[in-house]
Amino acid sequence: MTSVARRSGPARHAGAQASPGASPGTRPAAVPRPDPSRRPQPRTAPVRRGPGLARVSERGLLTVIIAGAIAVLGLWWHSTPGVHGLGGWLTGAGQVLGLFCGYGVVILVALMARLPPLERGLGTDRLARWHAMGGRYVVSLVVAHALLIVWGYAVTAHANVLSESATLLTQYPDVLMATVAGFLLLGIGIVSMRAARRRLRYETWYFLHFYTYLAIALAFSHQLADGAAFVTDLAARFWWSAMYLTVLVLVLWYRVAMPLRAFRRHRFEVLGVKEEAPGVISVYIGGKRLDELDAEPGQFFRWRFLTRSLWWSSHPFSLSAAPGADMMRITVKNLGDHSQALARLQPGTRIFAEGPYGALTAGDSDRGVVLLAGGVGITPLRAIFATLPGHVTLIYRASSERDIVFRDELDAIAAARGATVHYLVGSRAEIGGDPLSPRMLRSLVPGLDEQDAYVCGPPGMTSAAVAALRAAGVPRRRIHFESFEF
Amino acid sequence: MRRVILAVTGTIAGLVALLSFKSHVPSSPVAATAGGPGSGSSSASSPSSASTSPPRGGGQTEAVPGAFPQGSLAGTLPAGETAVNGKVASTSYGPVQIQLIERSGKIVKVAVLVQPLNTLNDIQIGKFAFPKLISETLTAQDAKIDAVSGATYTSAGYVQSLQSALDKQH
Repeated sequence: MTSVARRSGPARHAGAQASPGASPGTRPAAVPRPDPSRRPQPRTAPVRRGPGLARVSERGLLTVIIAGAIAVLGLWWHSTPGVHGLGGWLTGAGQVLGLFCGYGVVILVALMARLPPLERGLGTDRLARWHAMGGRYVVSLVVAHALLIVWGYAVTAHANVLSESATLLTQYPDVLMATVAGFLLLGIGIVSMRAARRRLRYETWYFLHFYTYLAIALAFSHQLADGAAFVTDLAARFWWSAMYLTVLVLVLWYRVAMPLRAFRRHRFEVLGVKEEAPGVISVYIGGKRLDELDAEPGQFFRWRFLTRSLWWSSHPFSLSAAPGADMMRITVKNLGDHSQALARLQPGTRIFAEGPYGALTAGDSDRGVVLLAGGVGITPLRAIFATLPGHVTLIYRASSERDIVFRDELDAIAAARGATVHYLVGSRAEIGGDPLSPRMLRSLVPGLDEQDAYVCGPPGMTSAAVAALRAAGVPRRRIHFESFEF
Repeated sequence: MRRVILAVTGTIAGLVALLSFKSHVPSSPVAATAGGPGSGSSSASSPSSASTSPPRGGGQTEAVPGAFPQGSLAGTLPAGETAVNGKVASTSYGPVQIQLIERSGKIVKVAVLVQPLNTLNDIQIGKFAFPKLISETLTAQDAKIDAVSGATYTSAGYVQSLQSALDKQH
């Protein structure tokens, strides 16, 4: 999973935009504004990546993280005179792991700080995976750190583990707070595990995650007060604090200040809601100067609809058409309480939107492109279908005719730009074989192995499609995908 | 699963490698005596360069739990007893300096003038190490005593400071 571009955030369902791209006739009657004379023209002109937008590559990010980790090791090395005896070994290991924990939580928060170069370069979905993987690792390190320090100190002080634990908790500065923090992190780690996640509502899980900020704050002071690397080293204390402060500022800036500024500047609001297919709705969103957001087709926003029942949670939905200057569209499948409530949104409802995020955007090449959509995964692909440069083939997998969203729009775009659309509808038997087999893909798309591929759909479909594309000879770095997993 | 095993074994292997490098580092845990020649019998001065925490002497020593004399006893001695300060031995954890109390050429007490107090762990180590070192000293009446396990550096600093006091005494 190295250079495969993909993204997704929590429960992304769909999205769209202001110029319902290809066919002006698809604007729902329920949408009161803007008046038809202002309706944007169908947009099929190629949209390339904004040249001025910074993107961090996976390798670049990894290099920075590893360099930081080496610096942390250097800090330990510099502050440790030597390791002697069992107590020394245990304490030393505990110190190294403790430093890694303190560094790791900063990295984990930074990955989720919505930094635009990371969002555009790696994609929200891969950042979330790194965060989840790293989170499990850091929580394990926290537990190991606590156990090793207690054990190591007990051996050194010739005390038993229980009384040493009591000593640590009651006599060492801020260790009690740090212990609370450790249990918080452990609890959050447990509820984030896949098995537990399935039994929790998304919102519950999301809010529990905010306790990590509390945990990090509680754990911070014991690092400086008890950490052998910091007690006598003012410079180390300074740089360590600077690291925490930097990430705090980034989080506040990109997760709070920028969205507030966008809210004031762009004045997002609901224009209307339209049912696209059973259980699939589009929400038309108006606003001012939306072109200044630099949103690209294929990206998404986190939307917080300011109604009595919805204001407290934000959800990621892709734009389902290229964004216009005064309107965007998202398309959502009914998957939870939240998306059901969206169907009842009234025109004029204000929206707090964070974004744009996501790396499933047009590449730089003029090679042919194949888009593979599964179910409501069509939404971001619908947006880039109209705007990708080069020859485009869209393959749209749906379980029944009724579930096909945007059929009129897709056909109109295909006609306007001379693109090809294949609808693969129904069971395997009805289609006449595995719709996502390498052979089927090759027969549908001549010259497939020379093309870029974009995949979006449910997790099972996405991984099957990516595997089939690889088997059909498409290089990994040319497969861009996004999954709907958290 | 493979990733989990990789992460666990990688972390443990890395830790063991890192720590084993450090465990080979110093052959002599105590740097050559820092600080000038220990002064006469009543002064508890220690050079500021040797110390990262303010050296403590005399009655200003803050209370550190532990059953051994801390701070100079020079002002409280009965007639016939004299105090001799050792040099400040600087260890990686901080400076160590002791004071001998002798009567008729015999060591009767040892006080700790300076000890590493940077972390509570240092204090804890001092709490169990110094009483042992002192009682060994009183038994042996010289500086040929064993290091206390778990307090290698502190023991070495203690012995070095003790030796310098004995040298001065004779």
